[in-house]
Formats: sequence, structure tokens, C-alpha cells
Amino acid sequence: MKIVEKSSKKQDIEFKPNIVCFCCNWCSYAGADLAGVSRFQYPASIRIIRVMCSGRVEPAFILKSFKDNIDGVLVTGCHIGDCHYISGNEFTKDRFERLTKILKFLGLEDRFRLEWISASEGKKFAELITTFTNQIKKLGPLNNI
Amino acid sequence: MSKSKKSSQKSQTDDLVGAVLVIGGGIAGIQASLDLTEMGFKVFLVEKTPSIGGRMAQLDKTFPTNDCSLCILAPKMVEVFRNPNIELMTYSEVIEVSGHVGHFYIKILKKPRYVDEDKCTGCGDCASKCPKIEAPNIFDMNLGKRKSIYIPFPQAVPPVYLIDSDMCLFLNKGVCKVCERICEAQAINFEQKPEEVQIEVGAIIVAIGFDMLASKLPDNWGYKYENVITSLEYERILCASGPFEGHVLRLSDEKEPQKIAFIQCAGSRDFHIGIPYCSSVCCMYIAKEAIITKEHSNSSECYIFRHDLRAYGKNFYEYTQRAQDEYGVKYFNSKISKIVEDPETKDLIIHYEDLNDGKFNDLRANLVILATPLVPSEGSEKVAKILGINIDKYKFFKEKTLYDKLSSEREGIFLCGFCQGPLDIPETVADASGVANKVSTLLYPVRNTLLKEKIVSVPEKKINLEDEPCIGVLICHCGINIGKYVDVPQVVEYIKTLPNVTVTVDNLYSCSSDSQTSIKELIAEYDLNRFIVASCTPRTHEKLFQETCEEAGLNKYLFEMVNIRDQCSWVHMEQKVDGTKKAKDLIEMAVAKSRLLKPQKESKLPITPEALIIGGGISGLIATLNIAKQGFTTHLVEKESQLGGNLNNLYQIFPGYQKASEFLEPFVNKVKSHSNINIYLNSNITEIRGYIGNYDVIITTKGNKVNNIKVGAIIVATGANELIPETIYNYKKEKNVITQLELEQKLRKENLEWLDNIKSITFILCVNSRQKEGITYCSNICCTNALKNINILKKLKPDLALILIYRDLQMSKKGNEEFYRDSRKNALFLRYSLDKLPIISKTKNGKFNYKITLFEHNLKGDIEFYSDLIILATPMIAPENFKELSKMLKVPQDQSGFFLEAHVKLRPIDFATDGVFLCGCAHWPKNIQESIAQANGAAGRAIRILGAKEMKTSGLVAEVIEDYCIGCGKCADVCPYNAIELIEVEKTFEDYTLRLKKSKVNSALCKGCGTCGVQCPNSAIIIKHFSFKQINAMIEAYLKN
Repeated sequence: MKIVEKSSKKQDIEFKPNIVCFCCNWCSYAGADLAGVSRFQYPASIRIIRVMCSGRVEPAFILKSFKDNIDGVLVTGCHIGDCHYISGNEFTKDRFERLTKILKFLGLEDRFRLEWISASEGKKFAELITTFTNQIKKLGPLNNI
Repeated sequence: MSKSKKSSQKSQTDDLVGAVLVIGGGIAGIQASLDLTEMGFKVFLVEKTPSIGGRMAQLDKTFPTNDCSLCILAPKMVEVFRNPNIELMTYSEVIEVSGHVGHFYIKILKKPRYVDEDKCTGCGDCASKCPKIEAPNIFDMNLGKRKSIYIPFPQAVPPVYLIDSDMCLFLNKGVCKVCERICEAQAINFEQKPEEVQIEVGAIIVAIGFDMLASKLPDNWGYKYENVITSLEYERILCASGPFEGHVLRLSDEKEPQKIAFIQCAGSRDFHIGIPYCSSVCCMYIAKEAIITKEHSNSSECYIFRHDLRAYGKNFYEYTQRAQDEYGVKYFNSKISKIVEDPETKDLIIHYEDLNDGKFNDLRANLVILATPLVPSEGSEKVAKILGINIDKYKFFKEKTLYDKLSSEREGIFLCGFCQGPLDIPETVADASGVANKVSTLLYPVRNTLLKEKIVSVPEKKINLEDEPCIGVLICHCGINIGKYVDVPQVVEYIKTLPNVTVTVDNLYSCSSDSQTSIKELIAEYDLNRFIVASCTPRTHEKLFQETCEEAGLNKYLFEMVNIRDQCSWVHMEQKVDGTKKAKDLIEMAVAKSRLLKPQKESKLPITPEALIIGGGISGLIATLNIAKQGFTTHLVEKESQLGGNLNNLYQIFPGYQKASEFLEPFVNKVKSHSNINIYLNSNITEIRGYIGNYDVIITTKGNKVNNIKVGAIIVATGANELIPETIYNYKKEKNVITQLELEQKLRKENLEWLDNIKSITFILCVNSRQKEGITYCSNICCTNALKNINILKKLKPDLALILIYRDLQMSKKGNEEFYRDSRKNALFLRYSLDKLPIISKTKNGKFNYKITLFEHNLKGDIEFYSDLIILATPMIAPENFKELSKMLKVPQDQSGFFLEAHVKLRPIDFATDGVFLCGCAHWPKNIQESIAQANGAAGRAIRILGAKEMKTSGLVAEVIEDYCIGCGKCADVCPYNAIELIEVEKTFEDYTLRLKKSKVNSALCKGCGTCGVQCPNSAIIIKHFSFKQINAMIEAYLKN
């Protein structure tokens, strides 16, 4: 009887996803700051890792995250054409389009997203985190797969 | 002849002094001083009170971003304190000025602190033992109490105590001296006497600020009641380090008020009490205070009594709308007759007239906050007398001309900030850079003559990478900004338990100068080799902490910053448990990275001492002239066939009524004739490559002529356009429905016959601006423009009937209120609201062309009248081509399409990308006076770079591990800066010598983006400070515990 109670309780506990979000220093990290300055609220599900350019994000980091049981990964950078380093995000785009194919093979493609967010898109950042968190919530914890 | 000229020039230069006196240590004085030292001048910063910081230090938050005021100001205060070329003289006053432009002799009186500034450590032991307690705390607007030995506020600069000579027992009654006995540093010195100091400077900047007039207000405002306070007093109440530690309490019973009323224009714009001007900032800070109040207690009710709503800056109008829509703040369009106290409850009853229906009502509130007038600082008249400069009728300092508000009437003495007239913080900062530029234009021949290098007292620690990391972690409460939403003590306890974390501490504000001292002490005491601060964003504060680490002998790349405010507490205000967990994780991840941090070296690069100015309007012209005058080659690019920008379309300019063409001519002529200036008309920028100090720019002139230039800094002065209201009020079809700019062009015609048949003209303001959707902003300049045109038209044709339909009149700034009252004689002013727009219909065979139907609030019904010509005041908008430029320069645009500055408060004319600056309407719609001031500022910011011979590059670069490199060249292919080349090296393997290709990074050219590192198939490239191992460690640390 007790055991049943416990397990049903466990199911009641809301699943709170753990998400890693890579931000580039110039656009999306500034956008995330702007979300804060504007007090746009979003779930406390993400941990931001700042890099200078989204071009620094190695596909290996995403695989490493999933390997470490992180439920979702976001890579964000400047809009195409706006990259502070001229063309860094174009390489990002290529790399992650290719990575998505691999993730599809692994059934992980819905747990990964690449988004462009400018320094003035605080609202968009907050909305992205909210919708992505909900998406991961629907998918459930990674180790349940 | 030429020889004698040369020698007279030389003697003039000989007499110039490369030092500057700045009077006033508020944000204006701070910014001007910092800019001046970067331009190569020594600064004496004289402040009357015991600490710099001024009014901004007293504010809780700043609009429209709700940024913590002290948090953004404190780094600048610390920078001043650290700067070896700023001589800080607090608690001092200028008492005598003689000499002339270029060489002034100044006498300064240093008041006795009775505490030796050099010995005091700021520990506070003296104050804790001082028996006198009844001194009112001036910094807290006399709401709190302090001891008679005190520090004005915890983050004060210099962080030194002083004795209030009026209150001290020993100084008044000859007994006590407890402080002297308790002070271990032996800093107390009762023998101190007032001291006179003499200095010589080349120029003087006056940057004294404002006071808040309250006690002299007429009785009807009710300031005498306990629960009626000024907005500045309320700022202190809201502040976490204020008298109630950030709890919103009223004074009579120290209980939380439920109903809070904010009264705007409480004394401003009142001709009877001698304050005819609008104080300019109240509409916005009241909206801010109401929002912050709601954030403190969502159940409180906030009412704002307003007359006009003057929200004219970037994101200002939207901010006031958010206050209403998102926070539920209620605005009353009203006039106050009086405020009286209910003696029993100490509540206040506000009698007011509702201007929407003309009815008189009462509202009961628990607390009333008055936006009282901001007036020139006490003693500014005395300062004016000492300096020999004039004050105007409002007792602000008088500017040289309407269009040169940065200069006083006396040569060599400049004005900036609120002492010249009401301004907000970003305008003040831009002005401060502007006066710095004015000084530099005057004193540039003696640049760098009196500077000294910073002496680093602690040599850089040698870090042995095999040594155990010893990490210090400082976690900031940021007042209540973090502390209220994240359980900081719990985070501290957790972080303490992590491996390699030697020490973890928390504090109220990490950015203050006393915190910098404690960071240095921590590093020394625990022999730390890594340091972490968890607080706000590295984008604004990383540099401050890095410098502190450097001063403690720690290489700045051994510092790591964690963002637990902007990206945690502020976005999880209702999720304290999850927010606290997130803060722990983020710091833990930083600890993981920190263990692997390595010291890095920086290299130096030469700077091209030439500038590029994009846009030949008034802003561009002023910026160009100022840079060229200081001896730098300046390239001015204009897309049209003539210089002058929008001024080419105007008739007479506001507020002086000069003909625009006559006003413009001398500037254009000077630019055309200056030998340092290259003008490119009919030209566009087609390519920009490079970075601060060295940009390669391609300018393409019509007919495909291509110019390649190399510049060190770029100023964007592209201006803005008037919106063409295609679909509004039948503009497209009706030739007598025109925009303001089209009216100006009509007025420019020599032949004014078109006016003969016109009997009546109606101006409609806010056409397609301040909307719910689309263009939501106030365009700032249309109101004054419309009134100017009304006055011009009335003069041209006195029997003309003029009607102006408006929503709110934007008449802030000195003199505009009177200008508005004068203009009222010339036109009929009618108000409309967004939900009831005026209707224009064409009349058939009537006497007039159009019938205008308007809902009149007082009559509660429609009124009708007729006009022949309708003028639509449409907003200024960002031109389409901004997009292209924004991409080329790698600088962002804001949501309205204007260029987005680096920081809305404290870096209003910088871009986040160093080396590119901004001025004029490209930033935001502004009038000529403001554009000129800002252009001066942008020129000053650029001169800082052009004047330096070389600059340090970042240590965040890529490095190739030669042994791993297979010479495939993929890294070189992706490098956007051509910073990687393949070189041939000889490798000897026993008997064989092979020539192999290896990649090599030129660290001076590398910008550290890291793309090459990802591209390398053999992991042969290390991206310093963001290495594979470091980032991997962060990922691993996330779910480890």
C-alpha cells in the first residue's frame, strides 16, 4: 500500500527539464540580458553557457550534453548576416543542419534547436525558452527513452 | 612672416595647460573626467559632498530598463577612483578662479574631514562606537539617521569616513574622542583645518547637478504631512540600502501602504512659484517608481495623476503603456487642487479635477509621492560668480548660444548635465562626452603632457598550472535585485562545499569600491589563483572585476563571471526555489570552468588615426569638424549630392527661427574648406572590414568610382526620415493634406502666393505615432516643430485661423513651456485621444476644403470646424537602408529600426562593437540642439581611440598546437579575419628532414570567435578561455550533483 502511494506521488512531481543553452556574446546573450532587464519571465529550466560566437559551439558539446542526461539543448546566435565575426554563424548553421541528421537517427532531434536571437529580442528569448521547455516537458526526461 | 606666426603659435601652446578642472562629481562629471583622461588630459575632479556619485547614486532603479542605478554607476565611480590621472578632491569647493582660456589658476578649499583619507580603511569601527546618533542621513534624503562619524553611503568613493563637525561631541563640547581611541589605523585627526589648494588647468567643466524643491512648495501640495514625500525620498525608500532596507513603508506608522498616489508636475510648469519649465524626467521616473512599487507588492494600488504625458525618449512611451497594461498602474488625466491629511489615519485626500470629464473628485491614498520640480543645485549662483559666467532666468547656467549648449559664455568654461537645464541620464552622459570633446578641441596641442602611467603595486602572480586551483567566489545580493528572488545564503552554503572552492562570501553590492578592496583582500588572504563573481552581466561588469583581479596580481583571464541577475533572478521572480537551484548550477558550472582557466597575454596593435563619418547632416558635419580640427584626417560620406541632410528641407529652425539654409551654410563651408576632411558626395559605403583601430572601408561613388580607405573609428550619423502617411487621412489623394516637412518646403519657397487662398490650417499631431501597434513611440520633435510652424504662419499671415489637435504636448526642456504658452495665442489647441481620432471629410462647394469632426471631452460631444490645409505631424522613422549598414558594421538596430546603443543609460552614443559610435537621429528622433551636443559626444568618444597610438588586443584568441596540426588548412578557410596562415616548417625525424605545412594564428588579427577550433579535424586549435575542455567541464558539472 505504502509503495503504491509513493510511486503515485512520484508521478505527481512535475517534470522540470534540464536544458543547456549556448549563447553568443554579442546577440543572444545580450538578448537574454534584455529579457531580464525587461523582466520577461520564463521557466528556470535553462543553464546558459556563454561563448564568443555561436561558431564556437562544437557539435560534440551537444552530444556530450545528451550523454550527460541533459534533456534538451539550445544553440543560439546572431541572425544570419548580423554575426559579430562576419560569418561565424553561417558555419554554425551548416554544422547543426548536419548534426540534426545524426540526431534524427538517434531520435533526439526534437530535443535540440538552433535559433537566431538579436540583442533587441528579449521577448523572443523568453518565448523561446518557454516553448522549448514545454516541448521538452512533453517529451519527458531523456533517460526515459 | 611665417616664422613669426609659428613662434606666436608656439608660445600659445606653451601657455596651454594639459589639465582640466571638473566641478561636480555626479554622472556628468564622472563621464567627462573618464573621457578626458582617455583623451590625454589630467583631471582635477572637485566635489562638494564627501563622495562622488551625485543624484544617480541615490536612485533605486533607472527607466526604461529598470536597471539597478547604483550597479551601473558604481563601476564608473570605481574607475574614477582607480584612474591615476584623475585627482579626486571630494568635500572640496572651488573658491577662486583667475587666468584665461588655456591657463586658469584655481583655488580650491578642502574642508576638514577630521579623518585622514590616506589612512582610513573604511572599516566602520568608529561609526559603530560613536555615541551620537541623531544626525539625519542626507544621502537618504534625511529619512534615516546616521552617526556623527559616517560614510555617506556604503559604496561611496572615496570609501572614507568623515566627521560631521556640527554634530560631533568632541568638536562641539570637547568630550568623547571614542572614534580616535577605537580607530586601529589611527586615521582620526581632530587637528585638521580647512586647506587651500592651488592648481592650474587649461579648461573648466561645470557639471553640478540639481536639487529637488519641496519645502518651498505652496501648501496645497501637502508636503508638510508626514505621508507626503518627494520622489527622491521615495527612491531611497525603494532602495535595498535605504532607510527601510527596500520595504515600501510610509513614515507615519512604518506600515506598508496599499494605495499609493503619484503626483506629476507638483510645482513644475507653475508660473506662480517661478518654475515655468518642465523638469523633463518626472513622467518617466514616476512610471518607473509605480512599476517598482508593484514589483515590491503586487497587491498595492498605484495611481498616477498626470497632466501631459511626456515620454519622448527611446522606449519611453512604451514603458508608460506597460505600466498601465502589464502592471495595472492607473493614470488620471487631471489637475490637483489640493492634498489634505486625514488627521486620524494620516491618510491623504487628494482633491482633483478629472480633465477627461471636467468633474471634481476625491481620492484617498495611504501615501503620496510628489514629483517636485528639479531646480539648479544650491550654491550654483555662487559658483557662477566665482567662474565669472552667467545664469539664466531659471538660475541654470547660461549656454553660449541656443545651438551650443555645452559652452558657457566665457571661453574655456564648459557646461554639462543638469546645471544647464533639465536632462535625463543618457542625455547627460552624451553631453559629458561632448564637453570632453570641446575641451580636447581647445587643448589638443598639449595632449598627453601631464599624464602618468598606472603603477601596479602588486606584481602578477605566477600561476603554475599544476597547482591546485584555489577559487574564491563572491555572490552578490545586488540590493534586493538578486537577494529577493534567489536564496543567496543557501547558494553560499552549497558553493562552499565544492572542491577547490577556498572561500565563498556574499555581499549587498559587489560593484562598489569597498567590494573591490575586499576582493583584493580575499585574493591576498587566501592566496587565491582563480576568482568568480556571481552577480549581474559580464557585458557591463566583467571589466571592473578583471581590473580588480589585476590589481591583486591575478591575471584577468583567471576571473570568471556568473550571471545570476539578468539571466536568473530577474526572469524567475516567482520561482524562488527553481531560481535558487539555477543559481547554484550556474556557479557550479563556472567553478568547473574556473579550475581549467589559464593566464593569457595581450598584444598591442597600432591604430590608424583617421575617422569615417557616415552621413552629412548636421550631426555628421559637427562630428567631422570636431575630429578634423584636432588634426585627424576625416572622411565624410553622404549619399545625396549635397551636405546638410534634413536641414536642406527645413524653412526656419527651432527654437531660434533662423533660416535653416543660413544656419547650415557656415558649417558646410568649414567642412568643405578644411584640409583634413575628404568629402564623398553621392556615395555609399559598400564594404567594411576590420575592427577597432583598423577598418578597411570601400566607398562607392555614383558612376562606380571606388575609394578604399583605412580608418580607426567610425561614426554613424545617418539621420532619419519623416514617415509618409500613405493610407492616413486620405493623404495620398488630397493635395491639401500634407506632412510637416512638406509644409516646410512650401514655406521655403520665395513666392508665398499659395498662402493667399488659405484661411484656416489644422495641424494634427501624433499621426501614426504612439499607436497601440505599429509605431508605438513618441517621435520627440513633432510638437515643438508644429508650434514653431504655427508661429511662423501667424507672422506671415496674421488673420490665418490655426488649429492644433494634439494628444499630449511634448514640451520638456528649458524654455519650451514658455514657448508653448506664447504659441497658444496663435492657435486654438484641442485635445484628442487615441480611441476617438479626428475625422476629416471633404466639403462640397463649401467655403473651406475640409470639415474636421472631433470629440471634445469637456463637452462630451463632437465639435466641427473647417480648414483649407491639413498638416499631419508624422513620426520620424528609421530608413530602410539602416539594415544594410547594420549588417556591414555588425551593429544592432532596436525594435523601431533605429540603431541600438551599447547601453541605454550609460553608453548612449557607443555601440557594443568598440570603435563605432552613434549620433543624431540615427539613434532617435531629436532636435538640432540635441543632435549637435550628441555629435560632439560621438566625436569625443572617437578621439579617445584616434589619439591613442596603439591599443591592447584581447587575450581571447586561438592557438595552434603545432604537433597536432596536420596542415589541412581548413581553419584558414573559415577564418573571417585572415588571421591564420599556413607556414612551412622543417621537422626532423631521425635522419629525415621533412617540410610540413602547419597553421599559425596571428594573435593580433585573431578576434577569438572560435570557428577555426570547431573546424579543425584533429582538435589542434585551442580557443583560449573557451576551450573544449573548459566548456565540456561546464556541461559535465550541470547534472553532476
